[in-house]
Amino acid sequence: MFVPSSTDPARPTRRDLLRWGAAASLGAGALSAADLIPASAAPGGSGIRIALESDPPNMDPHRSTAAVDRQVYQNLYDKLVDTDENLRIVPMLATSWTVSPDGKTYTFKLQQGVKFHDGTPFNAQAVKYNFDRMRDPKFPSTRRSELGPVIGAEAVDAYTVRVTLERPYSPLMYVLTDRAGMMVSPAAAQKDGLNFALHPVGTGPFRFVEKIPQDHITLDRNPDYWVKGQPYLGRITYRTIVDDNARVASLKSGDTDIINAPPLPQIPSLKKEAAQSGARFRLIEKGPFAYNGIWLNVTKPPFDNKLLRQALNATIDRNAIANVVLQGAADPIYSFFPPGTPAYDPAWKIPPRNIPLAKEKLQAAGHPNGFTFTLLTVPIPFVQSVAQAVQSMASEAGIQAKIQLIEFGAFLSVLDHLQHEAGILGWSGRPDPDFDIYPFITKSGLGSFNDSGYDNPKVDELLDAARLLQDMNQRRRAYSEATKILADDMPYVWLWASKEYKLVSDRVRGFVDQPDGMMRLRAVRLA
Amino acid sequence: MLRFITHRLLQMVPVLFFVSVIIFTLINLIPGDAARLFLGEEASPDALVALRHQMGLDRPLPVQYARWIGGMLHGDFGHSFKDNRSVLATVAQKIPVTAELSCMALVIAWTIAIPAGVLAAWRRRTAADYAASAAALTGLSIPNFWLGIMLIYLFAVNLHWLPASGYVPPTQDLGRNLRTLIMPAFVLGIILAAVVMRQLRSSMLEVLSADFVRTANAKGLAAATVLVRHALRNAVIPVITVMGIQLGTLLGGVVITETIFSVPGMGRLAVESIYSRDYPMLEGVVMFSALSVLAVNLAVDILYSVIDPRITLEGGRT
Repeated sequence: MFVPSSTDPARPTRRDLLRWGAAASLGAGALSAADLIPASAAPGGSGIRIALESDPPNMDPHRSTAAVDRQVYQNLYDKLVDTDENLRIVPMLATSWTVSPDGKTYTFKLQQGVKFHDGTPFNAQAVKYNFDRMRDPKFPSTRRSELGPVIGAEAVDAYTVRVTLERPYSPLMYVLTDRAGMMVSPAAAQKDGLNFALHPVGTGPFRFVEKIPQDHITLDRNPDYWVKGQPYLGRITYRTIVDDNARVASLKSGDTDIINAPPLPQIPSLKKEAAQSGARFRLIEKGPFAYNGIWLNVTKPPFDNKLLRQALNATIDRNAIANVVLQGAADPIYSFFPPGTPAYDPAWKIPPRNIPLAKEKLQAAGHPNGFTFTLLTVPIPFVQSVAQAVQSMASEAGIQAKIQLIEFGAFLSVLDHLQHEAGILGWSGRPDPDFDIYPFITKSGLGSFNDSGYDNPKVDELLDAARLLQDMNQRRRAYSEATKILADDMPYVWLWASKEYKLVSDRVRGFVDQPDGMMRLRAVRLA
Repeated sequence: MLRFITHRLLQMVPVLFFVSVIIFTLINLIPGDAARLFLGEEASPDALVALRHQMGLDRPLPVQYARWIGGMLHGDFGHSFKDNRSVLATVAQKIPVTAELSCMALVIAWTIAIPAGVLAAWRRRTAADYAASAAALTGLSIPNFWLGIMLIYLFAVNLHWLPASGYVPPTQDLGRNLRTLIMPAFVLGIILAAVVMRQLRSSMLEVLSADFVRTANAKGLAAATVLVRHALRNAVIPVITVMGIQLGTLLGGVVITETIFSVPGMGRLAVESIYSRDYPMLEGVVMFSALSVLAVNLAVDILYSVIDPRITLEGGRT
């Protein structure tokens, strides 16, 4: 059809043309009765197959923006520090660290004897290169905002790095447990520039082999990994299976070993199936990490009126949403901090549904018979169910919600430009509480995630103060203060926090899931 | 023949040019900011500005269009916004997959539809005819996503005969390749078969009432010979038109079937590119789809003249 001829390596290769020819000449094609190459016996030893719910777009952690990329990164890259299953920070490439009393200097001691997959050494120079790359104004890095006040990194000696900030920033350690702390090979990054994503090189327990978009990503065991003995698996294959039912079917049929994001509506039945004797898989449940709720646009009617926001809030029964609509696959919430996360305040109670209070607020606002508003939602079935539940709950006080479905890209655009009245949008969650609240409720700061137009200097003050404090207990107090103010102003109606689930085949041993849902496979074996 | 082909190839150029303008306009009309979507959870004002510049989105639209067309004329179809991979290489990877799936679907469709259509026409208004028409109607009505999931649950989860997903190229392992594609091809083929069968049936009915068929029967030829060598060959011409349209549509990518069976074809590439506003990739995919349709149309026209010598390529009968 198009086959241009060229010697450019970026053009279709001869292999592609051969494949094209093979496809065109289907011929006999007798189906073989036996599968000649079992999927797990790939070269390199036993391989595990992971099913992801969407295709990871980019293998460069300094350019990545999709949460699903991080799944692959856990095994391709090491970070300076990591989190354990209780969301505590543990050493990884950094063996120890100290923070200066003024909070503006972090000194890290690095692991020795570590090499990148291309054989180049990991040392303080490499760490400096990584920080510079993330902050380079000429490089389209997406990590710049989370490294905010960092002004530089220097190599004190071969295995000591000093990172300086222009002001204290306590979220930094948690930031380094994620993509900003992932170390790429300076040699490879310099050579490939923007194409580094196509040939990623890290220090992780697995090395990159290939990535076929929308199909699969293959990683092979790194034989020179610095933790002796690890990893145990020979190969990881990430398969993209977008359709929920097909993904679950792939685990049940034995085509995959772990699946990510089992569909929430199927959780109760999967729980039952997994509990039966003879079941060949188990369902792992971890505490909530992500949250979801309704953004109310305070810059225009009807929700520019605080009383109407409070009225809507009073009609909502959060327990019913979590336990009935979502069938227990989520927890009800009344703050930006899901239960179990560091800033969660167990003393802060969720108010029950209160229709008389709602009617009182409506009366005070001059709308005794209620009002109408448009509720935007993406066409994901369980989110729509929640929207319908809210609609039904609110109608008892006379508040009419018109539900409007909208495609995600267009939805973000509408929210960014504050053209909506109300919209259901959540956040995947972060280990540091700062990133669960700061960009969402302040006007300046980490970009335009504030989809309400809310601007309260008192709240900004509390959140900025929390960033300067090193002690999480003190920070929690500041966040609780902010939450009380937000519960009164109600720019965001907190609704539910989804629990984290994995479906795991019983062949898999040693897999420990974490609340952030990231699959860390270095200590996993296959039976 | 050669002159005809050259003429048609030259005709493709203005058509493709026109298509490119339409694609470009439509893509830029889609609401949603590509840079914002790409940055997703990491959007900050200066990151957005930097990325828009890098994507070339801050230039005026005619300039962006000229850069794109200019690039294509030099064989450079651009690079994905997501991870900079070459659009041409990615499309080249996906086309064989969708092509193989489409061809298999067509083979299945025709294997079912031709005998059924011939039988229904020959034995019209009998039980065989009604049964075939009912089957055709069922095939047309079944939602392909439902059928797909049902097949997965039956053959993959319960019987373990076929894999639920996990495409491999035919050059790597032909057996597994065919086993992963047989279910999606069947789902597609059933629907196509219904259309072809009905078209063939009505076409056959028309031919079977022609004089030359009566002559053939009167000569004492066997029924099979009359049906196949005489009637079918004439009846199949309009059906080839249908096949051409079907193939063109299939090559554009059958999104739902590819999604359910996790087949990494053009359909999924197109949808992914739309959702993530990966403009260069999307433009490349749509251009190749347009090119496929044009190429298939040309092939069908040539096929007409081969099958029926009375049809000349310049049109009309001799």
